Amino acid sequence: MLKRIPIFWKLSSAFVIILLLLFVTLRGLVATPGLPLIIVFAIALLLGVGVTWLLVDRCINRSIKRVADGMNELAEKNFDFRLAEDEISEFGPLASSFNDMADMLSSSLIELKKNRDYLEGILESSADIIITVNASGKIQTINSGAEHALGYHRLEVIGKSVEVLFTDPQERKVMAQKLQYAESVVNYETQLLAKNGAVRDVLLTLSRLRNPTGAIIGTIGIGKDITEEKQLQAQLIQSQRFAAIGQVFTGIQHSMKNMLNACKGGAYMVKTGLAKDDRKMLTEGWDIVQVGITGLTKMSLDMLKYVKDFKPTVNRVDLSETLTEIYQVIRQTAQDKGVDVQLQLPSSLPAVVCDARMVHSAAMDIVSNAVDACLWKEYHTDEKPRVTLRAYPSPEAAELVIEVRDNGCGMTDEVKSHIFTPFFSTKSKAGTGLGLSIASRMINVHGGRIEVESEPDSGAMFRIMLPVDGKNKEGIHGKKSAGG
Amino acid sequence: MAKKVLVVDDDENTVKFLTAALEENGYEVVPAYNGKDGLEKIQNERPDLVLLDVMMPKKTGFVLFKQLRRDEQYKDLPVIMLTGVAEVLEDLDAQSGDTAESPYDSLREAMRKSIREMREEGLVKPDMFIDKPIDPELVVAKVKELIGV
Repeated sequence: MLKRIPIFWKLSSAFVIILLLLFVTLRGLVATPGLPLIIVFAIALLLGVGVTWLLVDRCINRSIKRVADGMNELAEKNFDFRLAEDEISEFGPLASSFNDMADMLSSSLIELKKNRDYLEGILESSADIIITVNASGKIQTINSGAEHALGYHRLEVIGKSVEVLFTDPQERKVMAQKLQYAESVVNYETQLLAKNGAVRDVLLTLSRLRNPTGAIIGTIGIGKDITEEKQLQAQLIQSQRFAAIGQVFTGIQHSMKNMLNACKGGAYMVKTGLAKDDRKMLTEGWDIVQVGITGLTKMSLDMLKYVKDFKPTVNRVDLSETLTEIYQVIRQTAQDKGVDVQLQLPSSLPAVVCDARMVHSAAMDIVSNAVDACLWKEYHTDEKPRVTLRAYPSPEAAELVIEVRDNGCGMTDEVKSHIFTPFFSTKSKAGTGLGLSIASRMINVHGGRIEVESEPDSGAMFRIMLPVDGKNKEGIHGKKSAGG
Repeated sequence: MAKKVLVVDDDENTVKFLTAALEENGYEVVPAYNGKDGLEKIQNERPDLVLLDVMMPKKTGFVLFKQLRRDEQYKDLPVIMLTGVAEVLEDLDAQSGDTAESPYDSLREAMRKSIREMREEGLVKPDMFIDKPIDPELVVAKVKELIGV
């Protein structure tokens, strides 16, 4: 009830009451007849003013001081401070407002702290290296991922130039320069220097750090430590290299031992023939040694051929002649092995821009393989081992197709996928395992390709596709072409 | 009577020098140039021992070998495998597939399968493997070891 009366009226009434009381009191106490009434009143007035002043000081100033103290408490980050609200004074509502404000401030701060903790948690729990740098290149924050990767405690580096973390400080400058023209530099591969001197390979992404008004206040760098990955990668490359070398060695050994077998066996016969003065055995043994030597020589030449660049000497040629030549060479030897070879040529073939010797070599290899494939098959019915060599222009006439078809043992998909691999051979005796890979390269340098179709036990069909006008600039896309 | 050895190999030269070496040491040699031919000769000639190549047309050495071991009549016939991949066969148990992938994997796998099958059926391994390049004198020594002179 009292609280509702305005302060002015409260103080005025207090002043009047005090004045009257003083006046009456003084009148009674100072009963001096000669003292005029006006002086008594003046004294009462002075005392009244004094007493009222004391009251005002108590009521207003102290309340203001309390609010000011409260403000100071908040400024001192004592956000739990609250003013007592139950005072019977005009400042009760003020205290209440103050407290409401402090409540809001407090909850906003709790919310802010929660958000900050959350963000800091993300930065801290990230395994990546996260470092922020101010505009002058000094480290501002560094997360535990960075501490872990680089071996520093944050207190050791905060405030220092970020360049100390780079193996090559120049690199930091290069990145900073790049950042002048872009908002970020993404996945820059660099090397950071750990405290113990170890070099860490890092994939670094730098972004500009801006304040809410958009002004640049520094840089944030997020780095992924890829040291282990790089080591593994290097190990993998190394082991792949060893595996590849191993594969080549296995292949060479595989091919060589059949030839050495002939040398060794032939040499035994030569030795025995000499010891027994058996000329027949000596001659036979020597012939076998020759077979081994010839094989080894061919293999050595093939290896040389394989590694050198194929530079075709091209002319526009009619390949009928080349194919006829192959047919004539192979027909008799195949016949001796019970394989029938046929040549089917149209009355005229389009002339092809190619190196006829290379095409001869590649086609010859494929035809001999076809004959061999027949030897490996057990023919049950009245089917006879047969190899057909054909040539014809492709439907668009842009290519010449040389087709070699046999009804031999065929190939599994696995074998088919390896036939162009160097040193891969399914043949037990002859063969260096290089034939088809050389053939394929010889055709590839012409812009052509070799296609293969085969199923186990149902023969195989090889097609050499040669662009009629020489190396095709557009490239021809076939279904199952041989890699080169 | 001289002991009879059947040499089965599609490489004529190998057959030729093995024949020379064995004959030199008092054995009678019967040649065969593929697996099918080899089986026929085993049935007709009744050899005391077979020298058998693995990679051969028309029935590989392994196929022929399995056939022999499954046959009551020939299951104890001594066989020496002339294989260029003997080390692979010998190491089959030790191998755990950790070799780098190579074009020979399919061959190895086929042989592993053959050996596995033979073991499952209780068939024994070939009596011996002799790797290529073949030393004719070593072959003779092994033949003597198995069947005497």
